[in-house]
Amino acid sequence: MIVTKKAISRRTVLRGIGTAVALPLLDAMVPALTAAAQTPAKAVRRLGVVYHPNGIIYDKWLPRGAGAGFEFSPVLSPLEPFRDKLVVVTGLYSDQAEALGDGGGDHSRASGTYLTGVHVKRSDTIVENGISMDQIAAKAFERETQLSSLQLTVDDASLVGACDVGYSCAYSSTISWLTPTLPLMAENNPRVVFERLFGSSDSTDARVRASRLQQDRSILDSVTDRVKELQRRLGPGDNRKVNDYLASLRDVERRIQKAEEQSSKEAPEVERPAGIPDGFEPHVALLYDLQLLAFQSDLTRVTTFMYGREQNGRPYPQIGIPEPHHPLTHHQNDPVKMEKCARIQTYHVKLFAGYLEKLRSTPDGDGSLLDHVILLYGGGISHSDRHTHGPLPTLVLGGGAGTIKGGRHLVYPDHTPLTNLQLTLLRSLGVPTEKFGDSTGQLKELSGLSSA
Amino acid sequence: MQFRRKTLIACVVLLGYVEASAQTTPATPAREFVTNYCVTCHNDRLKTGNLTLESADANQVFNAAQTWEKVIVKLRSRSMPPPGIRRPDNAAYDTAAAWLETELDRAAAAHPNPGRPADLHRLNRTEYANAVRDLIGVEVEAPSMLPPDEQAHGFDTNADALLIAPALLDRYLNAAAKIARLAIGDPTIRPGFERYTTVKGNANEQTALWQTDRLGEDFSLGSRGGIAARHYFPVDGEYIFRVRLQRTFQDVIRGLNEPSQIEIRVDGVRVGQFTLGGGAELAAQAAADYREVKAGDMTNADDALQVRVPLKAGLRTVVATLLKSNDVQPEGLGPARIPIWSREGDVPTASAAISSLLIGGPYNAQVPQDSPSRRLVFVCRPASSVEENACATKILSTLARRAYRRASTEEDVRVLLGFYKTARAGGNFDAGIRAALERVLVSPDFLFRIETEPANIPPGTVYRLSDVELASRLSFFLWSSIPDDQLLDLAIRGRLRDASVLDQQVRRMLADPRARTSLVENFFEQWLQIRNVWLLTPDANQHFPWFDDNLRIAFVREMKLFFDAQLKEDRSIVDLLTAKDTFLNEQLARHYGIAGVYGTHFRRVTLADENRWGLLGKAAVLSVTSYTTRTSPTIRGKWLLENILAAPVPPPPPNVPALEASNTGTKPLSVREMLEMHRQNPVCASCHARMDPLGFSLENFDAIGQWRTTDAGARIDASGVLLDGTRVEGPAALRRALVAQKEQFVRAVTGKLATYALGREIEYFDAPAIRGIVRAAAADNYRWSSAILAIVKSAPFQMRRSSS
Repeated sequence: MIVTKKAISRRTVLRGIGTAVALPLLDAMVPALTAAAQTPAKAVRRLGVVYHPNGIIYDKWLPRGAGAGFEFSPVLSPLEPFRDKLVVVTGLYSDQAEALGDGGGDHSRASGTYLTGVHVKRSDTIVENGISMDQIAAKAFERETQLSSLQLTVDDASLVGACDVGYSCAYSSTISWLTPTLPLMAENNPRVVFERLFGSSDSTDARVRASRLQQDRSILDSVTDRVKELQRRLGPGDNRKVNDYLASLRDVERRIQKAEEQSSKEAPEVERPAGIPDGFEPHVALLYDLQLLAFQSDLTRVTTFMYGREQNGRPYPQIGIPEPHHPLTHHQNDPVKMEKCARIQTYHVKLFAGYLEKLRSTPDGDGSLLDHVILLYGGGISHSDRHTHGPLPTLVLGGGAGTIKGGRHLVYPDHTPLTNLQLTLLRSLGVPTEKFGDSTGQLKELSGLSSA
Repeated sequence: MQFRRKTLIACVVLLGYVEASAQTTPATPAREFVTNYCVTCHNDRLKTGNLTLESADANQVFNAAQTWEKVIVKLRSRSMPPPGIRRPDNAAYDTAAAWLETELDRAAAAHPNPGRPADLHRLNRTEYANAVRDLIGVEVEAPSMLPPDEQAHGFDTNADALLIAPALLDRYLNAAAKIARLAIGDPTIRPGFERYTTVKGNANEQTALWQTDRLGEDFSLGSRGGIAARHYFPVDGEYIFRVRLQRTFQDVIRGLNEPSQIEIRVDGVRVGQFTLGGGAELAAQAAADYREVKAGDMTNADDALQVRVPLKAGLRTVVATLLKSNDVQPEGLGPARIPIWSREGDVPTASAAISSLLIGGPYNAQVPQDSPSRRLVFVCRPASSVEENACATKILSTLARRAYRRASTEEDVRVLLGFYKTARAGGNFDAGIRAALERVLVSPDFLFRIETEPANIPPGTVYRLSDVELASRLSFFLWSSIPDDQLLDLAIRGRLRDASVLDQQVRRMLADPRARTSLVENFFEQWLQIRNVWLLTPDANQHFPWFDDNLRIAFVREMKLFFDAQLKEDRSIVDLLTAKDTFLNEQLARHYGIAGVYGTHFRRVTLADENRWGLLGKAAVLSVTSYTTRTSPTIRGKWLLENILAAPVPPPPPNVPALEASNTGTKPLSVREMLEMHRQNPVCASCHARMDPLGFSLENFDAIGQWRTTDAGARIDASGVLLDGTRVEGPAALRRALVAQKEQFVRAVTGKLATYALGREIEYFDAPAIRGIVRAAAADNYRWSSAILAIVKSAPFQMRRSSS
């Protein structure tokens, strides 16, 4: 699929700057920056995680009936068109998010442990968690793609001090952890995300981009030399910082190398977003579009996306809810508040369904992107008022290149670790893993194969 | 008779012996004090609060400095023994504390422990932006270039919280390329768009900014609402300005039923003027059912609000506003302000307002031969190609010296020249310098403050920082930026270790307006969590429907101007509590219940009501210490303990269950009544008995800082109790009682300022230095300049311990 440049009118240029409600990113044609050898047997698999904070109203979320032929609940109704690509998984618990003697802090623990299955360290400054599952997948795929992974969020991350008492804000701001002590901060500005994906050179001319990449690589080489020199010079004490620095340099260098290999391919004819759009919906839509673009161009195969940090107080006036989210979720069984909470959850699912629709209509190899992606949609808190960490609302979407059999509601015994599911997903992605976090085994039913 | 005399003498001798042996081990004041008042609970067997004072060395107190410093904190703040237990009088408290302090200070003077901040201390993004501004004259919006930084111990200057991650390095690379292009000017720069919105720093979608009046000094008189953006125009050329209006949730432009005039100004000069709306057709459409609106004028009319203007390069202020159609509407509160999220307010006939400003370009770009940033970078210009290498060397070594904050080495210059030569070969002189500048901006020597101990130093040794390291500490403390040429020069020449030179430099730096801007925005706003004002969501349904972004902005502006004045006038630190004047505009004055202040601009006002004096009467402080629907005496009490009384509360113990709103009765309870129930539980009471009573004295201020006399139908009971049992009633009495213990306040503030300045947690071994600073400041009535100078001269600031 070779793409030729087409003339873009000025009106389209202005329109494409996020000023219209939906950025026509997909109206532009994206060239085949896809992996070299894509055959039906070796379809490229991707992982996407979507996280919603502050818990749910479980009764409104839970579908009726188990197995195939389950009935969609009110909250999950926007997903009806995707029944054949959906697996609802109930009974999973995030037991490591319980207090276990540490006192309050359920929100921080919920998001902190969501993709790690580790009881996070209670501390304001020195964080300690585990490596998150998306990073395990990212490590396996990083040789193939420029960016090993992408972390996105809707929230402006400038929160001052007041996260859960005793816990660093890092635990609730992100769900991705590169190492047990290095959280990967999520980005909310579409322009910045765009620049991470496509560089800041502003030019689609291959020579200009190549020279930019070369310059970046020389800079990094030179910087790495200097850091190593500093490492020798500094006392034996401060190695963690320097190690993080060197690891980060290596990671960026790898990205640039990959980009140079692919720089002869044409860049997509998309305009850089100007910034953060007005309003929640266009912002979310743009962030989903960017994830789609990243998958489509094979710039990365692992994305995580948060609808907001845990405890966030976003109001939803556009659906008639002016109250901030978090206090609302402490409903104390007031039916009016519970209805509003359920409405917000449904709204989130509806926006997610928009993303699924686009994934389904984007061709990829012998099928669509939706066939080849594995999406985990859920949150770390179950009963929003009591901050329970199970049974968690967990959905798996996508075909996983044939490794996920959709159209079912799988019910597991209570306290089945969430990490069992994540372990299974890692294996479906082709990452051989025996144990992850507090996992006790795999969920073999997910693939629908009798012997797995 | 003889027998009795002998017995008598024997008795006397015996008594004398007994007395003498008792005097050979006299109890130190510390031993006496804890024996009388502390060890009933804090003994080896019970170890209450995980502390025993029974066996702590009370003779050579330095051997147990950590324990005794804890004791000093409790003694000075009178927070121990807890209420209900037998307590000493104030004189006894002070005597014991003073003795301990003297002992510990003397030991510390002999063996100072200046602590060890991290060797690699990354610049936070504010410091990065300031450094770029001071280095090459390009002003960048830090939040748009770099991700936000974590905080620790209340500040984002803490070295441990400033991590390094791959995404951050990516951003540094991108930023370096962009900034270098902006500084040098790049003729091949492609047009791009930057979007500015109405409220800066507002991540909160619950409230809206009312655009009925002039928003600030940047806006012209007779205007209303709009946006003022500081934008960097990289080169001479043509730029597009585009204004977008606010829309209802159905995406229909508001206010088209009436004609509006919109104008765009650059540095005060009008470059565009438009009239939009009005006329029978649009009025009819606006009044129609908005659900039936199709795409057309009602959704696209602001496409016309666009102009293309030739401009010269530089940093300029672009203002897009509406013109007021009539001045009859009174400013401020009023029935006209329906909350924006309400269905009644979300109609096309609501008044027009500006949503965003887009600035695009450059088109037909031309690199200017002269600009402020080019002047800073090009310290020479080669007249011919023969001179190029020499000039490049001069430019780059100057750049390295200023960017790396030290004398530039041959290696530094060699590396940079390498980048210059490669780029020069494929381009021109400018391109070469630009490439080298990119390398500078990503260099660890630029991005980090590096403190290295002298070679071959034994572990755990205390050594003096080099002048160059001291200069960096100084400039980042006072300016949140790199040293300027004068300071750097003195440091490289080794003159900074001269006390009089250091003194003079500190005073010079404090006189620079940069000091006030950076201390106000970075120290004060973080210490008192003023930034949280942007995150407030006061309940707009029932309690505070009139809380809007205008008020929010006013809260923050009052604090900025207040702190700025305190520093500018070099007032006493204690004035933070006692200041009778503040800065108000009409809306904020009405909020405080003060009449006679008109207009949107801020001006100094002397407060007649003494309840409002000082920090305790500031809406910003009162609202960030409250919940969305009500006040929280507990949070306010904790705030007072930590920030005013230097008696911080320990974190809640594990397994504290969340407080349910346990009002099962039919009558609504006042806040005091609700909290009373929680203090009936002894586990909770141990801390809440200290926190809540303090916060009660501020109950007359509601959750957004307004004065009230009733709560839940009952009269406010503003009686509170201080830790030493002093009873106060209301904020004025509280303030007077706090000022009576002003050393505690100064101690608390100094601790916070030192945490900010040193970039690490203040620990027990810093206490002697803090006391020294407070004493030095006391000699000058606790003026800010004296406190700051004393911090700079203290051991923790000037010295460091090598790794052990």
